[in-house]
Formats: sequence, C-alpha cells, structure tokens
Amino acid sequence: MILRYLARRLFLLGFVFVALTVFVFSLNYLFPGDLVSNLTGLRDISPQKHQQLQQMLALDHSLWQQYIAYNRRLLAGDWGLSFASQQPVLAEILQVLPATLELAAYALCLSLFAGIPLGLLAAVKKDSLLDRGISGIALVGYSMPVFWLALICIMLFSLQLGWLPTSGRLGVLFEVPSQTGFIFVDILLAEHVSRSAAAYSALQHLAMPTFILAVYPTNVMIRFVRTSMLEVLEQNYIKTARAKGLSRSQVLYRHGLRNALLPVTRQVGLQFSTLITLAMLTEVIFSWPGIGQWLIDSIYQRNYPAIQAGLLVVSSLVICVNMLTEILHTLFNPLARKL
Amino acid sequence: MKKLRLYYEEYNKRPYQLLWRHFITQHFALFGLVILSILLLLAVLSPFVSPHDPYLQNSEILLLQPSWQGTGLVAYPFGTDDLGRDLMSRLMLGTSYSFGLAILAVSGAMLIGLALGILAGMTRGIQSSIFNHLLDLALTIPSLLLAIVIVAVLGPGLLNTIWAILLALLPQFIHGVGNAIQQQLKQDYVVAYRLDGANNWQILWSVVLPNLWEPLSLLFTMALSTAILDIAALGFLGLGAQAPTPEWGSMVADALDSIYLAPWTVALPGLLIFITVLSVNLVGDGLRNAMKKRREN
Amino acid sequence: MNFSYCRFGSLSLVLWLTGCQPATMANNDQGLVYCAEGSPESFNPQLVTSGTTIDAISQHLYDRLLDIDPNSGGLLPALAQRWHISPDGLTYLFKLRPNISFHQTDYFTPSRYLTAEDVVFTFNRMLQVEHPFFQTAIEYPYFDSIEWRHRVKSITALSSDEVEFKLNQPDSSFLSVLATDFAAILSAEYGAQLVAQQQKALLDIQPVGTGPFKFRQYQKDVLIRYYRHDSYWRQHGDIQQLVIDIVPDNTKRLAKLLTRECDIAPIPRLAELQMFSNRPDFKVEQQTSMNVAFWAFNTQKPPFDRVEVRQALALAINKPNILQAVYFGQAEEATSVLPPNSWAYRKQNLGQSFDPVKAKELLTQAGYPDGFNIDIWAMPVQRLYNPNAQKMAELIQADLRAIGVKARIVSYEWNTFRRKLRQGEHDSVLIGWSADNADPDNFLRPLLSCAAAVSGSNRANWCDEQFDQFISGAVQTTDVAQRRSYYLAAQQYLQQQMPLMPIAHSKRFQVKNSSVQGVMINPYGGISLVNAGKTP
Repeated sequence: MILRYLARRLFLLGFVFVALTVFVFSLNYLFPGDLVSNLTGLRDISPQKHQQLQQMLALDHSLWQQYIAYNRRLLAGDWGLSFASQQPVLAEILQVLPATLELAAYALCLSLFAGIPLGLLAAVKKDSLLDRGISGIALVGYSMPVFWLALICIMLFSLQLGWLPTSGRLGVLFEVPSQTGFIFVDILLAEHVSRSAAAYSALQHLAMPTFILAVYPTNVMIRFVRTSMLEVLEQNYIKTARAKGLSRSQVLYRHGLRNALLPVTRQVGLQFSTLITLAMLTEVIFSWPGIGQWLIDSIYQRNYPAIQAGLLVVSSLVICVNMLTEILHTLFNPLARKL
Repeated sequence: MKKLRLYYEEYNKRPYQLLWRHFITQHFALFGLVILSILLLLAVLSPFVSPHDPYLQNSEILLLQPSWQGTGLVAYPFGTDDLGRDLMSRLMLGTSYSFGLAILAVSGAMLIGLALGILAGMTRGIQSSIFNHLLDLALTIPSLLLAIVIVAVLGPGLLNTIWAILLALLPQFIHGVGNAIQQQLKQDYVVAYRLDGANNWQILWSVVLPNLWEPLSLLFTMALSTAILDIAALGFLGLGAQAPTPEWGSMVADALDSIYLAPWTVALPGLLIFITVLSVNLVGDGLRNAMKKRREN
Repeated sequence: MNFSYCRFGSLSLVLWLTGCQPATMANNDQGLVYCAEGSPESFNPQLVTSGTTIDAISQHLYDRLLDIDPNSGGLLPALAQRWHISPDGLTYLFKLRPNISFHQTDYFTPSRYLTAEDVVFTFNRMLQVEHPFFQTAIEYPYFDSIEWRHRVKSITALSSDEVEFKLNQPDSSFLSVLATDFAAILSAEYGAQLVAQQQKALLDIQPVGTGPFKFRQYQKDVLIRYYRHDSYWRQHGDIQQLVIDIVPDNTKRLAKLLTRECDIAPIPRLAELQMFSNRPDFKVEQQTSMNVAFWAFNTQKPPFDRVEVRQALALAINKPNILQAVYFGQAEEATSVLPPNSWAYRKQNLGQSFDPVKAKELLTQAGYPDGFNIDIWAMPVQRLYNPNAQKMAELIQADLRAIGVKARIVSYEWNTFRRKLRQGEHDSVLIGWSADNADPDNFLRPLLSCAAAVSGSNRANWCDEQFDQFISGAVQTTDVAQRRSYYLAAQQYLQQQMPLMPIAHSKRFQVKNSSVQGVMINPYGGISLVNAGKTP
C-alpha cells in the first residue's frame, strides 16, 4: 500500500520536473534577445562561434532534440553563464543558496516554536481574553506588509537604538572565507579570526532578518493550530474521552494535541514555500546575500540565464520540500492515505 | 396589505439576512467593512475628490511636514513628498491602484477560476485526477513567487503585475471551487434531485451554484488580502508599478530615500496597506464566523 | 571590553548608553570600513574613468610619478623625486625615488625595488601595440580621450632611476596628465610573471602597486579587502585592514554609518547633512570639487542634430528647481562645462536661463511645433556630481511637458547602461564628469572632443572640428593667458552649439565617524586614506 503510494508520488514528482524544465526551457524563446545568448549567457558572440554554438545546442534539430540537449546540459552542470558577471550560473547559485536556506531554516524554527504553543493556548482558552489577545495579534501580524515592518524595525532597532546592524551576514572586518556558505560553519573553519567575536557578530546580523521573516509564518501557524485544535476538540472521540472520566489535561495531551498537530507537518511544507518567497523581500531589505536578492537583481538586470536558473532552483526546492512533507504527513496519518 | 395569519407559520428569514444579522454583531468585522466601503469609494472617486493634482511637482514645498506637525500646512494634510507632490492626493489615487486593481485582479481570477473549477469539479476520472494533482502542486507555490516568476517573464510594469497576480491566484480558486462542488454533489438533496431525473447541468445550475456563493466569498476575501500584499510587494521591489505612479508599495520604495527627513512618507503608504489588508481580513473572519453561526442555528 | 557583558548590553538601553555599543559592531583591531557607492570596474586605473573606481583603488593601491597638491592644485613630487623639461618643451626627464617596494601578496613576491623599467612598462602599455599587455584591454578611456598615442613619441629608461618621455608637440598639460589617478605605476616584474604564467588578464584583476595598501580580496558588489603595505615609502597610518564595503543604496549607506558599520561614507544625501553636522559623533567634511553634471544630447540622432532643438531643450529646463530638489541647494548652477574654480572658467549668462516661451519658439523654428518624443536615460547609480539622476529626470520630464516634448525615463542596470551608452543607443542622458586634475583640458577633451566620441566618453557623440581646434591650440602653448583665451572661445562655442546642457557643479561631501582621522578628500580625483587612523 505505502509503496504504491510512494511510487505514485515519485511518478508525479518526475512529471512535475518534466513540466518545470519544459517551462524553463521555453523561457529561452519567450525572453527577448538572441536565443544562443539566452541559452549560454555569452555576449557579443562572433558569427563563427555562433555557428559552433548552434551545433552544440542542437538548434539545427527539432525542438524535442533541443529540449533533450538542454536537459543533458542541466544534468552535466552546464547551466550557462550569467550575463552580468560572465561566471557560471550554477556556481553563483551554490554560493548564495546556503544563505537563504540558513535564514529560512531559522525563521521556520522560530515560527514553529512560537506559533504552535500560542495557537494551542488560544484554542484551549477559547474566547478568553488571552485567546482574543493572541488572535488579535495574529491577525495584525498576518495583515502586515513584511517590507514595511522590516523598515520600521530598522528605524527602531538600528537607527534609533543602535542595537542591531542593518545589512549583511557578518561584520565586514571579519575575514571569513566562504567554504560551505553556512556562516557558523565557515566561522568555525576560518583561521586568524576571533571566532567568538565573529559568531556574535553573525548572530547580531541574523537576529532582525530572522525575526521579520518569521512574523508572517508564525501568525499563519497560530491561526492554523488554533483552528485545527478547535476542530479536534469538537470531535466525538474527545467527548468520549471526557465521558470516560479522563481529566481535561489528559484529554488535551493524549488525544487533542496529537491529532491537532498532525496537519502541522503538512503545513511546514507550505510554510517553507512562503518563507522562501518572503525571504526575497527580506533579503533585498537587509542586503542578505541569498538567492532571493540574487534573483531579484537578475530580474532588474534582465539577466535571462540567471533568471531561468534561479526559477528552476527555487521552484524545485519548494516542490521537493512540499512533496517530502506531504509524504511524511501521510506516513504519520493513515487517514490521509486516499488511494 | 398584510395577510391575515390564520395559523402559526414558521417564518424563515432569507439566508442573506440571517448572515447579515450574525455579521453585524461583530464590531470589528463591521468596522472593517466600513473602512473597505470608504476605500472602495475612494478607489472610484479619487480623481474627482483629491485636493491637488497627484502628479504636480511643486519645488516650493519639498518634504512639507504633515499638517499636525510644526511646519505643516492645512492645505496639505499629509504633507508633500520629495518632489513637492501632495501626499494625500497621491495616497487617494493610490487606492485605485493598490486596492482597486487588486479587486479587479481577484474578480478576474474568480470568474476564470469558477469556470475552470466547475469543469474540474463536475468531471471525474483520470484527467481530473492528474489535473487535481497538478493543481495541488501549483497551490504549494506561494502566489508572490508565482507572480515574481510571471513578472520575470513578462517584464516589470503595473499591468503585467495585475496579470501575474490574476494568474497566480487562479489555482486557489480552481481548487476551492472544485472542492466546494465535490462537497455539494455528495449532499442528499443533490442525490434526490438527481433521482428526480435532473442531468448534470441542471444540478449545477439550480442546486450547486446557488450554494457556492458562501465558499466563494470567503475565497474572495482571502485572495484579496493576498493580492493587495502582493501588488504592494512587487511595487516595493520595483517590479510592479513604476514611478511616478502612486501605487502604495512603490511609494514606500520611492520614499525610502527620505526616510530620515520625512519618515511619514514611508509610514503613511505602509500604514494604508496594513489597514486595508487588516480590514479585508477582519471582514473575512467576520464572514466565516457569521456563516458558522448561521449553520449552527 | 568583556564580550558577554556586551551581549547583555545590547539588551538593555542603560548598558548601551554606558558605551558598550561601538564594540558590538566590529572587532576593533585597527580596521577601517569605507562604504563605497559602487563596485570598481577594474583594479587598474588605466582602464577606467569612473570616479567610484578611482576612489576605490587608485590612491590605496598605487602611486604616481607626481601628486597634486590638494590645496593649490599644483604639482608635488611623488615617485619622481625631480623632473626636468627641455627648453623646447618636447623632452621630460624624471628622476625616480630610490627604495620603493612593490606589494608582496599571495600571488606575487617582488624581488626588486621600483625602477625606470616599471615606469616604461606602465606607460608603454597604452602606447605600443607590441607591448605584451596592449591587447588585454579593450580601451584606455582616459588615455585614448587625451590622445596619448599622438602626444607621446617614446618613453625610455635612461638608467635604473631615470626615465625620459619624448613628446611630438609641446604640451602644457602633460605633467598634469602624469599626476592624475589614471597614471598609476605598475610593476614590470609582475607583468613578466603573468606573461610567463599566461595569465595576462590578471594584471587588471589582481593588482600589484606601490601604494599604502595591498590587495587581499574582492567580492563583486560586496566588498574589497586591503591589507596594510608595511614597507610603504611614505609615513602612513596604522590601519591594518581597509575594507571597502560596497553599498550602492544611498539610504543603506547612511544607515550603516549611523550603526557604525561604516566609518566613512561618501556622497551622503545632501538633505541629511544638517542632521549629521548637528551630531557630535559624526563629522561632515566638504571640499570643492571639480565636477559637472550635465544632460547630453546624442547629436547623431534626430531631432538632436538640430542646434535649435538643443537650445530649446536647454531653455525649457528650470535649473534652480533641480538644484533645490536634487542637490538641496548644495551645488552651484552650472553655466559652462568648466566649474567656476577653474582658471579658464567663463562666466556667462547670455540667454542661458529658464525661458519656456522662447524654447517653444525655437522648436517651432526647427520645425517641431507640436513637440516630439524623447528618451531621457537616467543613470541608476549615485555619483558625486549627481546624487539622484532618476529624480532629476522626473523634474526634467515635467519641464519638457510644458513645451510639448514627451519624455520617457529609461534606466538599466549600471554595466548595461554604460555599455549601451558607449554604443550610442541613447537619445539623451543625464550623467556627469569628475575631473582628475586641475587642467581645463581634463574637462573639455574627454567630454567633447572627436577622439572622445570614438573612445566613448563623449556622451553627446559630438564631433566638431572648430571645437577640436580650440582645445588643441590651447595645449600647444604654455602661456596661461593665451591658453585661457582659447578655452574662453571654446566655452562660448559650446554655449552656442549646446551639445550638452551643464546642470550643476556639486561639492564633495563625506560623513565620517568622529573617531576617524587623517582622511583626505582631494578635489582632483580619488580619496586618500594614507594617513587615516582611528582613535579608540
């Protein structure tokens, strides 16, 4: 049963990747400019070189064969050059992606650790002052434009109070070479640097972007957990459990919590996609050197090879994480296995 | 003339009236509705009621403070921006871009979504299954990301943003409508109607559609808050409305330059976005509660 | 200061006030952070003209044969201890300073001091096609625009410390050319090493010079890291590390200054100068600067090929308005390309003012009674001469609407922008020029000569024989009065032809943390941090 389910999911995943690559491949034709340039990222190509490249890209063959050749290049890691820097796009992405993952991961943790307890609390104390307070704050946070909140926080915490830096991942005077892309690992690997001071600086730089990025998902999480818990509390099995004489806390802990948190696993996947998107805004505001800022810059610069690659990576990431959380959700929750 | 009542007859209020009665008991939701009505009026009337030309530059009064602060003038209640344009007029005109266009985009998405959703909901089998799986996946991609993707292809600009947001919201509607229809089809009264000999389209027309407005209005409010935030975010990133269009998000981005000298030029557009989205969400939550109460009674 | 104490300090306002704050932002080990407004285009000043690049590289990494006295604009000895000019004005002999050492870095270890060979290597690059590095650059914008190859006949090393330049014609601006930031001295030994390694492109990417700092690291659009060059020949400050943090956004640069992430920031927003000068923890420095912001018309394209049209557009613009809105009054209205502090400046106000009615008349005369559509290219970056081209473009757009000309504002990412400009794709462009030496030739030749139209720094694509005769005539004599009369004539001619409309001469400002000392802003070119230091 479960194997069949997995197989179906995998098949779907494969299908989606085909659709995604077809879409990204077709972008080469949709973008203005020379097709060979769009595919390779080379600029000012001489006529002979142009001829040669056309052959390499299989442009003299059918569209189908061009698509195959395109996929082959993708798999081989030949993603073309960036218009702006004339560096391989893939290498650039691998350099910026960890920064985004790092930021998103911390924000996700924050949103789970803050959102779940608050949501549960609001549900358990339904209609109390506490519930109203939490729900009200959640609604406010949910309606807040992220970029505006970020600006206000910068005004307050950086410019007025001077507590936190406004941009970047690390004080520029720390010379920490980028080896893994994950700042704390890099600091550990770095030589000739005061590690504790560098780590403290990294923490300071991380604080505000993480908080800003976590605001929206946290509030979504509060609302989600609250609704989910309320639904569970209305179920018959809860009433049965109460009727059997279990205390309120026992009911909540043994029956309520488990069932209310099950859908949260699936929500984590959705949260991740939201985070990656909001990370783009956050990165732009805080000059965080991640893939979001890189992609937005590429859009400004009409850097087509980079846009394609960026979209491919971000979408694949989002889809894979969602698929993964959905599979996990199904594994934990037999009821969700509709076959 | 009133009919003479000979015997007791249960008098049922119409569902809309019932809903309204439950809705107005929620003060916050009502407050949201009032604000939304004002904004809607502004969105339509702003060109006629704005006190100044929102594009007129006046170098005499650059970065004038709001009228409640030191050097402010009553003629410019919210002060002026760094080119001496009246902020209040710009914000009013911005209503039609940030709020009005969001409503248009969401309405468009709703109509198309309704049509496609009906197709998806009324059909079964392998096509529908593949379609639904794809839809599920499209739903996992946030609308802002989809919109950024679409803008990346179409190129920056306000009109492209609207298209992008319309397309990005589509999966939600198709999914929502499809699900609602599937639920309706399971109801006993549909089965009864079918046993009476009604065909699919008759069922759709006379039973399912009239029952769709409830989930649709909820979907609409959710999509509207997303659309407003997305238009503003794209405007802020410089991918949406371009200068000098007074779209709220792009106004925030433009005003960043003078954030130290004139923080209100950043604060006010952002505050408006916030209030608008908050009102939409308040109304949405209010509707949801009212519907729930109506069903419970 | 105790580290954990700081952590709590940042949580509490009270402790923050006790002075914990500066240490929270950076480790205090004698590093200086300069927040630049853009990435450098190259690490070799020979290849660029942009002031941003010059600021970021030239005074830190390199030395020149001569320096310019920032106060008087006169020449001072630098790598050249003495120089001698032959009576006919054709031969220049320079005697080099002894014991000047080049940078020792990861990629190069010098085995000898500076010799005449290095000077010859440096200047022959732009002169001789057979020079190994001649082909590695597409162009030498500054040297091409001043027609280096026509001016200089030969460069020879007479001995290890004597260099002789032979010119084709007497040239009164020649010494000034050698004192510009573009005339940085490179290492011939490093060049030879790169030739042997077949890595010639690295000459302009991994620099080796004799300047007070040596290259360590560069991440495009992020930062440049320099280390102190310990065996620098001059006395210099004790800054161990100089980081040039690249922050293109004006507002962010200011924010970084306020949070102490930057020690020095150039091109502050003029509007905020007041705020900074009121705070004791910051210091605003200003310096008159030789620069001009202008609106250049692409004279190769209709309707800009008509003088009347150019005159009309210039008359339609309300300059005082621009000065107020864009420069917040911190700039002088430009009536000529040359700034008023230049000795060849010609004061003129003949008809050069704001007159939309006359502008409309001129357009009608030129055959455009209903106006036309144009593009205004506004550069996407802030520069010394123009802090906000976008805003300026919006103002001009509004002014043009009044005479029936519909303008569209166009902007691209900066690299694309410059590439497209060089290819002459623009209608008109808002850009400017910062001078590198006090000589008027440095304005007129790179901006408007025929040679510059070919090399691409002439944004108006304007080539006029009459004008070229004026400026060539001016450099063939050393008599200042005579030169002045040539330049006055040239300026009058420009006034009449209007290939570009000068808008403003802005002052150069920078804001720095009060703890930083010894920063020198030079009216002619790049910022120098030789003597910079930080008081704890």
